[in-house]
Amino acid sequence: MKRILLTASLLALVATPALAGRDQIRIVGSSTVYPFTTTVAEAFGKASGKTPIVESTGTGGGMKLFCAGVGEAHPDFTNASRQIKKSEFEDCAKNGVTDIVEIMVGFDGLTLAQSKEAKEFALTKQQIFAALAKEIPDKDGKLVANPNMMWSDVDSSLPAIKIEVLGPPPTSGTRDSFAELVLEKGAEKLESLAALKKTDAKAFEKVWKSVREDGAYVEAGENDNLIVQKLQGNPNALGIFGFSFLEENANVVRGLSVEGKAPSYEAVADGSYKVARPLFIYAKKQHVDVIPGMKEFIAEYVSVKALGEDGYLGEKGLVTLPPAELERVRAEAAELKVLTAAGLK
Amino acid sequence: MTDTPYQKLLAKRYASERRFRAYGAIALILTSVFLLYLLVDIVRKGWPAFVEHRATFDVTLDASQIDKANPAATDYLVIVKDAWRSQFPDLNSRTDKKQLNALLSQNAAESLKQQVIDNPGLIGQTVRADVLLSDDADLYFKGLSQETDTTLLDRVREKIEITRNMSWRLLNNGDSREPELAGLRGAIAGSLLTVAVALALGLPLGIAAAIYLEQFAPKNRWTDVIEVNINNLAAVPSIIFGLLGLAMFLNLFGMPRSAPLVGGLVLALLVLPTIIIASRAALRAVPPSIKEAALGVGASHQQAVFHHVLPLALPGILTGAILGMARAFGETAPLLMIGMVAFIADVPQSFTDAATVLPVQIYLWSDLPELGFQSKTAAAIMVLITILFLLNGFAIYLRKKFERRW
Amino acid sequence: MTFWPLLAIAAAVIAAYLFSSRRALALRVSGRGYFHSLPSYHGLLAAISALMAGLAAFILLRQFEAFSALAIAAVAGTVAVVAAALPATKISAAFRARPVFEAIVLGILIASSVVAILTTVGIFASVVFESLVFFREINVFSFLFGSHWAPTGTPPAFGFIPLLVGTFLITFIAILVAAPLGLFSAVYMAEYATSNVRSVAKPLLEMLAGIPTVVLGFFAALTVAPLIRNWGESIGLSVASESALAAGLVMGMMIVPLISSLSDDIINAVPQSLRDGSYAMGATKSETIKRVVLPAALPGIVSAIMLAISRAVGETMIVVMAAGLAANLSLNPLDAVTTITVQIATLLVGDQEFDSAKTLSAFALGLVLFFFTLALNYVALRIVQKYKQQYD
Repeated sequence: MKRILLTASLLALVATPALAGRDQIRIVGSSTVYPFTTTVAEAFGKASGKTPIVESTGTGGGMKLFCAGVGEAHPDFTNASRQIKKSEFEDCAKNGVTDIVEIMVGFDGLTLAQSKEAKEFALTKQQIFAALAKEIPDKDGKLVANPNMMWSDVDSSLPAIKIEVLGPPPTSGTRDSFAELVLEKGAEKLESLAALKKTDAKAFEKVWKSVREDGAYVEAGENDNLIVQKLQGNPNALGIFGFSFLEENANVVRGLSVEGKAPSYEAVADGSYKVARPLFIYAKKQHVDVIPGMKEFIAEYVSVKALGEDGYLGEKGLVTLPPAELERVRAEAAELKVLTAAGLK
Repeated sequence: MTDTPYQKLLAKRYASERRFRAYGAIALILTSVFLLYLLVDIVRKGWPAFVEHRATFDVTLDASQIDKANPAATDYLVIVKDAWRSQFPDLNSRTDKKQLNALLSQNAAESLKQQVIDNPGLIGQTVRADVLLSDDADLYFKGLSQETDTTLLDRVREKIEITRNMSWRLLNNGDSREPELAGLRGAIAGSLLTVAVALALGLPLGIAAAIYLEQFAPKNRWTDVIEVNINNLAAVPSIIFGLLGLAMFLNLFGMPRSAPLVGGLVLALLVLPTIIIASRAALRAVPPSIKEAALGVGASHQQAVFHHVLPLALPGILTGAILGMARAFGETAPLLMIGMVAFIADVPQSFTDAATVLPVQIYLWSDLPELGFQSKTAAAIMVLITILFLLNGFAIYLRKKFERRW
Repeated sequence: MTFWPLLAIAAAVIAAYLFSSRRALALRVSGRGYFHSLPSYHGLLAAISALMAGLAAFILLRQFEAFSALAIAAVAGTVAVVAAALPATKISAAFRARPVFEAIVLGILIASSVVAILTTVGIFASVVFESLVFFREINVFSFLFGSHWAPTGTPPAFGFIPLLVGTFLITFIAILVAAPLGLFSAVYMAEYATSNVRSVAKPLLEMLAGIPTVVLGFFAALTVAPLIRNWGESIGLSVASESALAAGLVMGMMIVPLISSLSDDIINAVPQSLRDGSYAMGATKSETIKRVVLPAALPGIVSAIMLAISRAVGETMIVVMAAGLAANLSLNPLDAVTTITVQIATLLVGDQEFDSAKTLSAFALGLVLFFFTLALNYVALRIVQKYKQQYD
């Protein structure tokens, strides 16, 4: 009798799916999305009693963990400050993570800001490119090392102060987005570079992606609060950081207008302030039936209470989706629409 | 007396003596001043986190809104918010209401709810409620606000009775995304659990390794390898220890992610070189005559070491333990890879619960946009340093007890 | 799940010790000849075999979830008692319990020092595979001798030299600050200060070792760096907002307690007779310290400084915040530089896809740093061995 029991329990041990046991949602990924996902996690935890664990690992590290496999040991969601890359999607599929649900949750406005004590000025993307690119075309359209040392060198209407921009390091997604949203657009406006784009897209990419390394652009680390505080100490410098930090520190720093639009919540939300990037969370559909609460968590994330116009994520500084877009996201999230490789870079 | 060459020389030697002594004092003072400056700066910034502001106003507990049989099931936040807005009858546009609501904490109704549950007779009456304000309002009353438009807050200040209280929420609450509610209880528990594992493993291992290498190991190439290797481990960047933890403890042994057990194991390996190096130096410093005397009266090698050398080396070993512990308490990077850099609202109860630690909490809070977290960050540092100081104090007491000079 | 079994094992261990040592004592008192080992060694031998067998049984049984905690406790306890009975039955005048016990203890000591080796092997293993993948894509020599570092540039450049120089520069500044401050503090505490001053100053310094480096990083970035910049600009120097000097200074303060605390212990342990001899010859206190005490303490002090250097090389947060991430190849302390560990940390937690050469380069950096510090420590060991003397 005893032996039968023992065998039975051993069999049960083997047969139990590896997923049993964990009843808490686990989330990894981007430090940019972390403040928002944690807010949702807390609200969800208050209602359900089990607050999800949200790790801050960076988008790349998050994807690596997320794609490592299906099962209790692997996270259920990952936060991302950019869309999943094709290589990551394939890596996921290779490890059995085939059903991924992509949810776009909102926008992060990137702002160029300065100390309130400094003299205010406005910039265009073209001027920013001319100030920060490693090589810019000279009068004849030939690429030369960026000679501009003062903002007034870039454009005589700008003040005569040294170009010094504190921004994220190249490993950061914020920096990639900034290059794509500002520098690329700025470069396109220069005739010689627009021509280059047509003839040699690779060379063009190199031009706008290369930021100068002679001290005008300071790689200041990932901590946005630190950049804000450094700006206070150095009124001549500009800083690049997320919109929520600008909003919280409105008394000491001011956002510069880019292309005539000052960064404000409304301007980012209606799309007229163009320097904003989408933020995502990715869910592992294969876990939905195993880890309790995943559906409810997604529902909480895309609910009107959280993501709506007056939602609590808006108060935390997330720029929410336009109503029509939000409706689409909510519908897709509700049916757990699986992501396909088409359209991924 | 004439100035003989000897006296001149003597004067010179005395002058050099005084100079040397002054260098020592200056070095010590310089370091202490730096430390005190840091501490004062931290306390100045962290102090506001121990103070909170509450608003006191009348709330009518309408019997129709509350279930008498089960008063705990009611959403008191709605009642409190209604009562709050009714204090400002002229502000009734949608934005005004939203702004007014935003001045109350998410937890504003907590004490009122408790009051009603304790005393259901209050239902139907009007009570003076003591309501926690939100971070925005709290910062304004502390004079730290970054708000550009303060007309509403000025009105609140005129109209409502605002009280300033000491707050121990920082020590009593778990983590939260609302600055006025966020606390360190989970991080403190996580830190203690993690460091307990690290010390329980690292200290005996480190001392045993030091005893072997210093007292028993033959002096050959093999022990040279171990020695270089231990010094080298001290220079391995701590994040690499995290990679090791990820590969070995999580992937190979299948231990749970984010657990203090794994964090403690990684930190034990991390502080091992510090403890070994300090312990070896302490053992080496015990005069060999002690050991020889013991051997001379017939003690075995191990008896000589364990009964005579080790007790005399103990103060130095304790120094190593303190430095190792301080390092383990302050480490962030290796915990990133094993999932302890995370938002965890619940307080960990055991070595395998998900947990975070104090320096990680400091790191995470310092990166959040809300202004209220800046004072919380400084206050968390105060807590970390206080804990360290208490633990140090204990070790120093032990060290004093055993210290002696030859 | 663990409490009851451990309690059972502990009880068995204590019982084994008490039983065996008493039995040996009783036999000895009853005059069964001259005992080779003291009674306590018979007890310790029984206890340690009980402990090892009990723990082994416990770890083995834990693999099966079918057993309850109490069942495991019972089995592990029984195994421990049986294991204790083996040496206990042998208790006699001739039984050499002490050598057996000491052999076991020596085994444990050796095993402990092997843990450090295993850690190194583990670290090596956890970085080497990814490094190999990286070196398949990037030539080893262009990595080691390249002078341009831009892992995310177009095209990416993986030249290691700027990072190496940056690491050197910052560590050098840190040691320049910490070595004199730490050593002089230690000398003052050990030789001049009254015991009251010492009992306050030493824990105070050790507190400095416990301040999280994130905090020191903020301090370096927001207080020290602007100070240096303003001072530099006032005398007409061009100073980067994030200078190696700021990071190095604060890092130096961080490692002061490592040097001072350890050196203080070492200096204290120099026998008083050496000092007395020197005083008797008419030397002043400082002469005694410089010519007698410090040379005697030198090996210990060098190992303290080596530990401090190792710590500085491995430090990340201060540099991230204060010196930035710009990989400039420069020896000017007023420029912004970056270090190997900073690059490792930012590459690993960045937003880049994980299996690309960018992220893999972090592992290669770890590997190279590993060999690099290995060489450094080997040289230091040789120096210490050359000057090592034992005083009494």
